[in-house]
Amino acid sequence: MTRILVFLEHDENGVTDLSLQALALAGSLGGEVEALLVGQSLAAAVEVALAHGAAQVLTVEHATLANYLAGPVSSVVAAVVTERDPVLVLFQASTVGNDLAPLTAGRLEAACLVDCDGVERAGNSWRLLRTEFDARVRAAYQPEGTGPVLVTLKDGVAEVRATAGGGDVIPLDLSPAGGATGEVLRREVVKKTVNLKDARVIVGGGAGVGSRENFALLERLAEKLGGEIGATRASVDAGWVSAERQIGQTGVTVKPDLYIACGISGAVQHLVGIRDARTVVGINSDPSAPIFRVSHYRIVGDLTSVVPKLIELLG
Amino acid sequence: MSYHIIVVVREVWDTRDLVGEPLGLDGVLKPLPRRFDPEDLNSLEQALQIKDREGGSVTVLSVGQPGEVDVLRECLYRGADEAFRVTTDEDLDTGARAALLAAAIRRIGAHDLVLLGVSVPEGENSLLAGELAGRLGHAQLTYVDSLTELVPGQVTCRREIEMGSEFVRLPLPAVLALGVYLLKDDPRTPRAAKAMLKLKLKKAPIPEWSAAELGLAGEPRRMRLAGLTALPQRNVETHDVDAGSEAALAALLRDIR
Ligand SMILES: Cc1cc2nc3c(=O)[nH]c(=O)nc-3n(C[C@H](O)[C@H](O)[C@H](O)COP(=O)(O)OP(=O)(O)OC[C@H]3O[C@@H](n4cnc5c(N)ncnc54)[C@H](O)[C@@H]3O)c2cc1C
Ligand SMILES: Nc1ncnc2c1ncn2[C@@H]1O[C@H](COP(=O)(O)O)[C@@H](O)[C@H]1O
Repeated sequence: MTRILVFLEHDENGVTDLSLQALALAGSLGGEVEALLVGQSLAAAVEVALAHGAAQVLTVEHATLANYLAGPVSSVVAAVVTERDPVLVLFQASTVGNDLAPLTAGRLEAACLVDCDGVERAGNSWRLLRTEFDARVRAAYQPEGTGPVLVTLKDGVAEVRATAGGGDVIPLDLSPAGGATGEVLRREVVKKTVNLKDARVIVGGGAGVGSRENFALLERLAEKLGGEIGATRASVDAGWVSAERQIGQTGVTVKPDLYIACGISGAVQHLVGIRDARTVVGINSDPSAPIFRVSHYRIVGDLTSVVPKLIELLG
Repeated sequence: MSYHIIVVVREVWDTRDLVGEPLGLDGVLKPLPRRFDPEDLNSLEQALQIKDREGGSVTVLSVGQPGEVDVLRECLYRGADEAFRVTTDEDLDTGARAALLAAAIRRIGAHDLVLLGVSVPEGENSLLAGELAGRLGHAQLTYVDSLTELVPGQVTCRREIEMGSEFVRLPLPAVLALGVYLLKDDPRTPRAAKAMLKLKLKKAPIPEWSAAELGLAGEPRRMRLAGLTALPQRNVETHDVDAGSEAALAALLRDIR
């Protein structure tokens, strides 16, 4: 029986959606699905894992694992992989998974690939699929040799599935390897209050918006269109808008019917988050801004005059 | 206090202005222009700024022969003290590259920091930092935006995470993968090559080490590229909307609502 181990990320909102997608994908590949939870106070997360297809949930509870940090967590994950001997280990393509999987692979000298958007069986091995070169090609990778294969999975690999539940919980008596490993001093994260993923209309604001007052203009436009506000990292960093609205590589991926990009240059780290937007309107004073390459409507102009006009026209 | 910093650099395909079919008729990626990996250039700048401020040295390291850009020499032109190249005649996977780099880093000797770039998605996978840190047994941090404090024996960094950022303190030596996000007029903007150093170092020898010289017999390949298929491109037909015309904006609103 092939065993697939799924590392689950969890935070104060519970097990992450990407983690549940990974569980669903593991279930579809056939074999015995084991989930791994590392941290502290894991009871609620265990229940969620059991209700989403994990035949077994392995837990490692330890005070020093309360805050994710690559070093200690990967020492534990490496020990679990060695002990349970899975053929495939699934992680999430997040700032945790893309941090943890390669380090664990380095420790184990195992095969690893990040940012996959598909995993298929290929005989006794796997075919790992990944979108590359600005979504121009789909690359297929083939792990070679023996030993576990570590993979991080992007949003959208599978539909989250609730299952009948049941299954065993196996607490593992492991502690992070000793030695100096570092410390998370503090986190500045915002609580999630909006669901940009399901928004039909998003008005995105970038550095070109220029001020919090101008950002209020975008909010009015979004309101008129029944949409939400989105942002680039630049405007989040400027403090005009909360980090939960950041779209892109380290933000959320959205798929609205309409995305209005205001004062956004169109850096690849932002564009990866709006690739599935149906219609894109770009408003930018620079006629050669890269955002126009993905825009269905191109408005070259100053957003502080264009946006008020749009609001006015909307009545 | 002075710090010894190793920066791992490479050239990458420039995917900024890709137009047309990505694959040739043979199903192989068409050759693309290449450039100094912008993330690595940002990392080099961080290292040079630490040296300018605190003293110490910057050593740069790359795997493979230069293609269009000699990144190691470009580093010397910007003020790096030493450069080393690891030579190989095979196309290596990330694990094998990490094994070579780990051996080279051990050969270079005592160091406080190893800096790499976090790659942009879609075409490069940021695996190397972890694979390297795991082999070296160093502490690791990825998605590092900035080094907020560096004191003997430890570094504190701001790391980008979903919904915000975190501040993490690590013991040295540490491997950091930097994704420096440059603001307008950012003081962390990479410096240009210096003409004087160019003249002086154009022909300076760059020591090369082969895997055998590093004591490695050859790392097994664990991940193989098995095929590429072109993805249908979304054809965006762009309509120009005159920002100054109320009628045009009104028509736009009718179209999109
Ligand atoms: C590891 C890493 C992860 C990242 N993750 C993300 C991410 O998840 N999301 C993200 O967005 N970014 C991310 N970034 C940052 C990204 O690289 C860009 O720096 C960022 O997206 C730029 O934001 P911007 O378009 O708002 O700003 P800029 O690039 O500064 O663009 C501002 C634009 O506004 C225009 N403009 C200026 N004034 C006006 C005006 N009055 N009217 C109209 N237009 C005007 C300008 O012409 C310009 O095109 C990441 C970076 C790194 C290194
Ligand atoms: N051949 C190489 N030589 C030197 N450094 C490299 C090489 N390949 C990758 N790197 C470093 O590793 C980082 C991430 O690379 P990758 O994991 O391939 O995306 C890059 O930004 C570089 O700093």
